[in-house]
Amino acid sequence: MKTVVKITLSGLLTAGLMSGCAPKTERIDMNNDNGAQVMGLDYRDFNEAASKAVQSMLMSGALDKKNGDRYILAISRVSNDTMQHIDTDQLIKKIRVELLKSGKVVVTTAVGANGAEDKMSMDARKLRENDEFNQNTVQKKGTLVAPDMSLSGKILQRNVAMDDGKQQVEYYFMLSLTEIKTGLAWWEGETVIGKRGSGKSVSW
Amino acid sequence: MKIWSIVVLIGLLFSGCADKTSYVKVVDPSVSRNISIENILDRVNVESHLKELQVMGVSNSNEYMLLRYRVVWYDKDGFEIKAIGENWIDLPVYKNADFTIHIIAPSKNATDYRLFINKKD
Repeated sequence: MKTVVKITLSGLLTAGLMSGCAPKTERIDMNNDNGAQVMGLDYRDFNEAASKAVQSMLMSGALDKKNGDRYILAISRVSNDTMQHIDTDQLIKKIRVELLKSGKVVVTTAVGANGAEDKMSMDARKLRENDEFNQNTVQKKGTLVAPDMSLSGKILQRNVAMDDGKQQVEYYFMLSLTEIKTGLAWWEGETVIGKRGSGKSVSW
Repeated sequence: MKIWSIVVLIGLLFSGCADKTSYVKVVDPSVSRNISIENILDRVNVESHLKELQVMGVSNSNEYMLLRYRVVWYDKDGFEIKAIGENWIDLPVYKNADFTIHIIAPSKNATDYRLFINKKD
């Protein structure tokens, strides 16, 4: 009888301890996140890089079209040369949203570095001469708008081993805005984010 | 004499009201003791038609401080314009030196702003 009680008590104690040790899930306050920094890239880094790029682009005047018109912007290749699995859209989408809001740019989804981002612009045109569709509602030839500008870039990572055993990781967000007509880069920007931490921490 | 005093008082009241829509505020008292805002300039850029804001300040502290700021923009009707610049942005302030915040509005509709400066937690 004593053994049964002992086993039950130790079982309950273990369960209690286990539940106490389980980390509590918390929702991040994205507007005021004072959480510890990580060696890898997190949303705070992408916010900072995007914010700086947009401010720099708008201040440069590269997006000021005559008569207050908007430029048509195509998103070209933005490569990820870091050791992390990053979808570069995390950076580019924020920039696109802000540029669109500024009223200086409209982004085309019909042309992109890896083909159209939204294939529907072309797919919907395949409905021409399909008797099932009212042809007056099908887009006519020559209505798509070609881009004036292209946004391309690279996210680069550089790891530096420090003398004290710590590790320094530098991230470079490099972007270029090219006028497609001339091939000239009208704006270029670079944001560097550096982190220093334990040499044992892995930054990928 | 009495009439003149009233006119001056009304004038002062009106000028006070004019500053209410756009302003720069140092949030934390410990920060406002260490920095002072010297000059606030704003203009609408003739090329981009976007409003630009430049705030110049000076540090009275003998230590380097990492502060942060955020700007909230409003349209002419007083409606807030959501933008990425609403997030806190780091502001390095070197000891006993000037500092400048130069920002551009996120949209042509932005007419008023509120800029908050605070310490970085």
